[in-house]
Order: sequence, then C-alpha cells, then structure tokens
Amino acid sequence: IGKPRPMIANEGYLEFFVDCSANATPEFEGRGGEELGTELSNTLYKVFNNQHSLDLKSLCISPGEHCWVLYVDVLLLQCDGNLYDAISVAIKAALFNTKIPRVHISSDEEGGKEIELSDDPYDCMRLDVENIPCIVTLCKIGHRHVVDATLQEKACSVASLIISVTHKGIITCSRKVGRGSLDPESICEMIEAGKRVGKALHPPLMKLLQQEESLGNKRQKVGFLG
Amino acid sequence: MPTDTKRVRGPETSQSPLLFWSRPAKVLPSHGPRADGRQRDQVDVRPVFVRCGLVSQAKGSAYIEAGSTKVLCCVYGPRETERKDETDMKSGRLTTDMRFAPFSCPERGSWIQGSQDKDFSLMLQESLQPAVCLHKYPRSQIEVNVMVLENSGSVLAHAVTCASMALADAGIEMYDLVLGCSLRQDGGSYVVDPTYPEENSWRSGSGEKQGGLTVAFLPSLNQVSGLQSDGEMAEETLTAGIRTCIEGCYKLYPVIQQALIKAVRRAALPPAES
Repeated sequence: IGKPRPMIANEGYLEFFVDCSANATPEFEGRGGEELGTELSNTLYKVFNNQHSLDLKSLCISPGEHCWVLYVDVLLLQCDGNLYDAISVAIKAALFNTKIPRVHISSDEEGGKEIELSDDPYDCMRLDVENIPCIVTLCKIGHRHVVDATLQEKACSVASLIISVTHKGIITCSRKVGRGSLDPESICEMIEAGKRVGKALHPPLMKLLQQEESLGNKRQKVGFLG
Repeated sequence: MPTDTKRVRGPETSQSPLLFWSRPAKVLPSHGPRADGRQRDQVDVRPVFVRCGLVSQAKGSAYIEAGSTKVLCCVYGPRETERKDETDMKSGRLTTDMRFAPFSCPERGSWIQGSQDKDFSLMLQESLQPAVCLHKYPRSQIEVNVMVLENSGSVLAHAVTCASMALADAGIEMYDLVLGCSLRQDGGSYVVDPTYPEENSWRSGSGEKQGGLTVAFLPSLNQVSGLQSDGEMAEETLTAGIRTCIEGCYKLYPVIQQALIKAVRRAALPPAES
C-alpha cells in the first residue's frame, strides 16, 4: 500500500522491474543485464500506459492518501530469443492470479485513518485481465517477417517490430528495435500480421488460465515450479 | 536507484506548489483549430530554425528550434573506443546520450538520468544507427550528445533531426539524413508535431484511439529507421499515422538541406584570389 502519484490522486499504479540474471546467458554477468533489463521495463511501462489495460481506479483505497501499488518483478531464467512475448504472457498470467485483500478504512482517535485488512484469507479482490495486451515480436529477415524468432533467427534479422495487442485488436504500444531500417510497406504488413497473431493469442491463454484456476487444490505440483 | 546527494531539495514531505494551485483543468478542445493556429488533420509541422556549427569544440554540432522546443546536439568522433574490451574490429560504434536540462520541462527535472532519458537515448541510437556508415570507421566510436533546452512537445522527433544534422556537420559518412516527426491521435482527429499540452492531455473516459506516435525516416531511401507508439490505437489508425508522419518528414527535408548547404559554404575556405 502506498501513496498515490500526486497528479493522479484516485488511481493505483504498477511498477515494473525486469531482472536479467546471469543464468540466462553468460553475457548478463555482473552489470551486463542491467541495460537490457531497463529497456524491457521501459517498454512495459509504455505498454500499460493507457486507461483501458488495467482498471487502476479499483486499486485506489482512499483518494490522495492510500492506494495499492502493484510491483511486477520479472526474473529471466533462460534466454532463447523473443523475450518480450514471453514476459507479457507471464505478466498477464500473474496478474490473473493476483489476489488483493479487501481493506476497510476506519478512523481512529485523533482523526487519523486506520487500515484494516479483512481476516478472511479468501475475501479478496481479483483483477480483470481481459484487456491486458500481449506483445508480439516480428523480426524482418530478408523480405519476409517471422513471428516468435529464436536466438539464431534473430541473429539473421536486420530489425524487429514489437507490437502489443489487446484481445480486441487494439495496439497499445509499438516500437522498432534493431540496427537496421524498415520499409514503410513492410511495416504495414508486419503490423497487420502482428495484430492477427496477437488477437489469436488471447482466447486460448484465457481459457488455459481459467482451466488451471478451476483445478484449485487438486493441481499436481511438479517440483518447485508447480 | 541513484539519488542526487549533492543538492538539497527540501524536506522529504515537501510537495510542489503546482499541486495545490487550483486552476480550471484546461481541457483542450478536440475540434477546431489548435491553440497556436495550426490545423487539425493536416500535416502542419511547426516552422523550424536550424543552424549548424554552433559549438566550436565539437566535431559537429546542430541546434534546432521548433516553436518553443529547443534541442542542441554535439558530435564527437570518430575516436578510439573507451573500453578496450568492446572494440569491434569490423565496424564502429555509435553511442548516444540524450539529456533534459532540469529547466526544460514545467516540472523541474533532476540532473541524474532517469529511466525515461535512457529510453530516449536508446530510441535515438536505434534511429540513427541504420543511417551511419559504421563499417567505414572500424575500431572507433562516435559520440552523439543531445541536450534538450526546452521541451515543448515532440522532443524525440526533433532530437533525431538535430542529431543527424550534427553528424552531417561533423563529416561522418551517412547513407541519408534521418528526420523525425511525431503525431498525436486524439479521438477521431490527429495533430502533427504536438506541443507539450497537446501531448500530455489524456482525456479520461474517452474511447479508443488516443495515442502518440514518433517516426524517424530516411527520405531518399524511403526507409523507416525508428518507430515508437504509445496509447491505444487501432491498426488502421497506426498505419495512417505512420504515413502522415512520413509526409511531415518530407516537408522538413528541404529546410534541413538548405541549412546544411549554408553551413558548408560558411566553413569552406573562400576561393583564393590570385
């Protein structure tokens, strides 16, 4: 629980942090992964920087004083290309699984506000993740483009386009990365393909998440990662 | 997170007086002419003042002023790479650094580079890299430093233009100039080259199609070297926006060319009078 941002007093907010650990590739040893981590976090801020991705007003407890701050921490375990896509799917799944306890505000003596968490562990608020976008990375190789490129395919490509698409097909963020330049026509083709792929990605993902949710405690836990 | 320990910014609980200043929320109208007289839905870029060769110490420099946005860029290089382990035998490296002066935005910024500055520097590097012939400068490093003196909207686009002019002024070999143009989509209409209030007016409750887009373009090669978009836009709006930004870049192109020609003439030695 934190203090809301001064300019927007009645909404909560999200803070992203991506940690590229040295497990992912040997290049990330020491401070090497920090640059990539800041790039990924900045892109995530842009992706969620609009009103409809997540209902931030529901994260507000009392306007101007208290709000929920969601810290989204991403840890990369292994890197095989296409980091943005995997991270966005993981964030969507994690936010689907988030349970925020309900709070009651009461004023105690001296007029201060006191926050009480409800005692029931199942009395919680869930977030609506319908509108959270998924990121699709398209790499341009030669004259055509490739979706979901591996590290080897990425090494052959000149430039890539990152598009984040919601389930309705609205593009919330797009960005060109890479050292080459793109043709305007191929950009239009890539945006169209990205939107198609992105739109098709959402329904199976939601179905899978809901299926897993409905298993409840009967889920087989395999090892530590469940 | 690095914090500024050298300056005293007041007690921690202090807040800016702007928060308490109750002024009527200036909701900019979404139809009708814009505040500075330009038209909506037309490629109406602000007139620019461009000048090369301001900083005599740097190899090349450029200054651009568009409306109230003032951006200064210096280029140093090619010089030896600082860190020996990153020397690339086959091509040079381009390092970019974009900083905002603390007095540039309405809210005072800090001297330490925030994450937004790093983001802009990265975007700048991605936009400039396709244009510079780095294979002609092996084992060297070219440094581009951009300083924003006043941020009055579409600062990344003007920084890209300024940086490519400074690179040309420095004599670095390039395939083409990189021009930047940005756009803000607001409901059904768009504004090209938005000013600071137009860029930051997020209207609550309105439907889709609200976002900003910046495009870096190489005019003679017809290639897009940088693209960044924000907010929510449908796919057709995005592609139409890209085309509009490309038109805006074409409008700027003759002005930039003229400024470079003038700078070269000034720097060239006068013909020997025999």
